Amino acid sequence: MRLEILIAGRGGQGILLLGHILGRAIAKHTNLHILGSEIYAAETRGGDSRVDLVVADREEDADFIKVMRADIALFMHQLQLDAYRDLVRDGAVVFLDKSNVSSVPQRNWRIYLEPYTDIAEKEIGTSRVANLVALGHIVKVTSIVPPGAIEDVIKEVVSKEWVDINIKAFRYFTQR
Amino acid sequence: MRYEYLTGNIAIAEASITAGLKFYAGYPITPTSDIFEYLAKELPKHGGHVIQFEDEIASINAVIGASWACAKSMTATSGPGFSLMLEALSLAVITETPLVVAYVMRTGPSTGVPTRSGQYDVLQSTYGFHGGLVIPVLAPSTPQEAYDLTIRAFNISEMLRTPVVLLSDAVIAHTYGKVAIRERSEVDLIDRTKPSVPPDAYKPYDPVNGLVPPMACFGEGYNVLVESLTHDERGYYAPRTDVQRRLMWRLYKKIVENSGKLFDYSSTYLDDCDYALVSYGSTALTANVAAKLLREKGYRACSVKLKTLFPVYEDGIVNLLRGVKKVFVVENNLGLYYRELRGVIRDKEVVSVPLIDLDVPLPQEVVEVIKEWL
Repeated sequence: MRLEILIAGRGGQGILLLGHILGRAIAKHTNLHILGSEIYAAETRGGDSRVDLVVADREEDADFIKVMRADIALFMHQLQLDAYRDLVRDGAVVFLDKSNVSSVPQRNWRIYLEPYTDIAEKEIGTSRVANLVALGHIVKVTSIVPPGAIEDVIKEVVSKEWVDINIKAFRYFTQR
Repeated sequence: MRYEYLTGNIAIAEASITAGLKFYAGYPITPTSDIFEYLAKELPKHGGHVIQFEDEIASINAVIGASWACAKSMTATSGPGFSLMLEALSLAVITETPLVVAYVMRTGPSTGVPTRSGQYDVLQSTYGFHGGLVIPVLAPSTPQEAYDLTIRAFNISEMLRTPVVLLSDAVIAHTYGKVAIRERSEVDLIDRTKPSVPPDAYKPYDPVNGLVPPMACFGEGYNVLVESLTHDERGYYAPRTDVQRRLMWRLYKKIVENSGKLFDYSSTYLDDCDYALVSYGSTALTANVAAKLLREKGYRACSVKLKTLFPVYEDGIVNLLRGVKKVFVVENNLGLYYRELRGVIRDKEVVSVPLIDLDVPLPQEVVEVIKEWL
């Protein structure tokens, strides 16, 4: 098994935190091997944020740090969907934030279109945790890592006052 | 043993703690600084000290001093800082001082693109200092290798009484990966050999029966001379050709005659290969995937990742590549290490694949270049 995972959005959407939580949960709480890289712009809001993960059950197959043909992708914004959609292979599982994506390309993808940002704002209480709502959806659909592992990692890496609300956001999809 | 999710830089810092690092001195520089920041926080918990000096020159000289006080010592830097350290590295070579320099390459020359990557300094890492000898250079390509090779760098430095360069780059520095972190009891650690003679019979540069002199530290009751001038076995200045010859050949041989012991590599498909893609550091990831892509297209390609760059283990490399028809040296510079291999591999064509990329080069680009030569 070898999976390429692409997570992309705009600066400020929590893309790097999402990627780090997912990567760390895979590394520490599964038998899978992983390599990954991050790209972020100099500005704190706006520019490109992107996390590439290559996950495999054999160490020699976790062999690169850039996605070339993503099997799983999350786009939190139209700009990055337009910029990186050619990196996603046919048949891939693609998650789109309906709140920020208006034009879905005609591709042979398994698409999950949900308004992660609106859900975070209205159901959880702040749009800042839209990233964890989306991560919950990815984990629910792909089962790449046990939900409990993600929650353990949230407790390790998120500052104390934000742990509960991040877990609540993560559970929006995993506990439905 | 436990698994962590670490960048190459933090893997180096963690490994240095495992290896028994007791003293770190440095000056911040992109893309190396988080090694320093992490150790500043963590090393004191393990009984070590971390000091920021006024520049890289002071830092490496402090590291030399600490090593003579028996503390395993390290600094980390990038191109501009390493250039400043070269004079003192020469001092470490002639005084046979064990230390590790983590050299995280970035785009040069000069300040270049400080946050981005390249492999332009691969020759500087061993040939940069004055004096015409060789410093062992190890090159990781993943966070796990950064961890493993850092421990190995400390072991080599202690075993051979030499500075060792751990040559990383900005890509590996920021690449995340699963890293198996070991307890100190789970790894083989080598410590410098101590004198077995009483203090009045001790000569700090006498290799006794081998090539590496036992090393007494300050404060152990031995007379210790740290001499930068050409010296005899006692450490006394001796401006004579016979002493210079003896010293130069011993300093050279203690590294080069251990080439086989120091050599480390990994390969894929090498036992069924016509076209070998030889690479190192972050570009080895590119070359490895490129070899797989070439095989998918029907070419008998393989990849060889060199983890030890210097000393060049000539017989070992020739033997390793004996079955292949053509060798491609893939690197993110103008073809520097190619010059080393071209001098070693005489019985077949060696082709340079010089890439210049601020990031890790993409495998497809390598495939396009190499296909022209097949």
